[in-house]
Amino acid sequence: MGFSLTGTHVVFFISSVIIAGAVSGVIVAVVTDVSNSFSERGERVKNQLDLEFDIINDPDNIPISGNYYLFYLKNTGGAEIATSNETFSIFIDGELLSTVNYYFSDSSTKIDEVTTLYVLNTEVSTGDQSLLVVGPLAVEDEFSFTI
Amino acid sequence: MGFSLVGATAIIGVSLIIALEIIIGTTVPTITNVHDSFDKMRNRAIEQVQTDINITSVRTLVNGSDHDINITIDNTGSITLETEDFDILVNGTSYSFTSSKSYLHPKNTVYFNVSSLKGTGIRRLKVITNNGISDYYEFNIT
Repeated sequence: MGFSLTGTHVVFFISSVIIAGAVSGVIVAVVTDVSNSFSERGERVKNQLDLEFDIINDPDNIPISGNYYLFYLKNTGGAEIATSNETFSIFIDGELLSTVNYYFSDSSTKIDEVTTLYVLNTEVSTGDQSLLVVGPLAVEDEFSFTI
Repeated sequence: MGFSLVGATAIIGVSLIIALEIIIGTTVPTITNVHDSFDKMRNRAIEQVQTDINITSVRTLVNGSDHDINITIDNTGSITLETEDFDILVNGTSYSFTSSKSYLHPKNTVYFNVSSLKGTGIRRLKVITNNGISDYYEFNIT
């Protein structure tokens, strides 16, 4: 009787340790996942706050070079911007341009520097238009101009 | 039964302490980083509000068959501006330039020189500061 009581206690003890260990594992795993996601989200918010650019063209005089209109993007933020047709999306009058129809003069633009965005002239009609430049992390600038 | 409860409580207690350490270890640096970036963004916004320039005159000088222009700009804002980070557009096209000083303090004047403008007629000048604040001016090349 005494031996079976001790055996029961041992069984209870082992099962409680196993259950507590499983619960602990789940708690630590979930907290680690949530913390990592929070950290990544925080990094994205930080990058978003650091990114800022302005289209600095004269709206009445958009320069043209060969078959391309030139738009000047100035990095007015607090971090270097990767400027490529993969990181940037361009809309003219709300229509998304295909990536083959525009490119940047530089692959990255440092703080306070200007890069040139070349947009194929067949994508730009005459009259009043708007250019929406959407950069990394959906940071954007809109610019109205006249051709 | 009592010993089992103590053991289980101890294991869960240790895991809660580990979880708390993980939360604090990731949350505090993340909040600090975001706060720093927000602080910088706020400072940039404040500087933009405090920045203002005024193009007071443009003098044209004959340079062979071309023209050079001498631009006078006053800092009418309340922060110091770095002139090498300015941009100058003439009729929409960006030109390189030289400036009379590296820093433009409030209530001070700087002179920019743009060389070898071609042609004659009315030109529209746009000068942009490092933080995107700009001023326009029209002048005539005769």
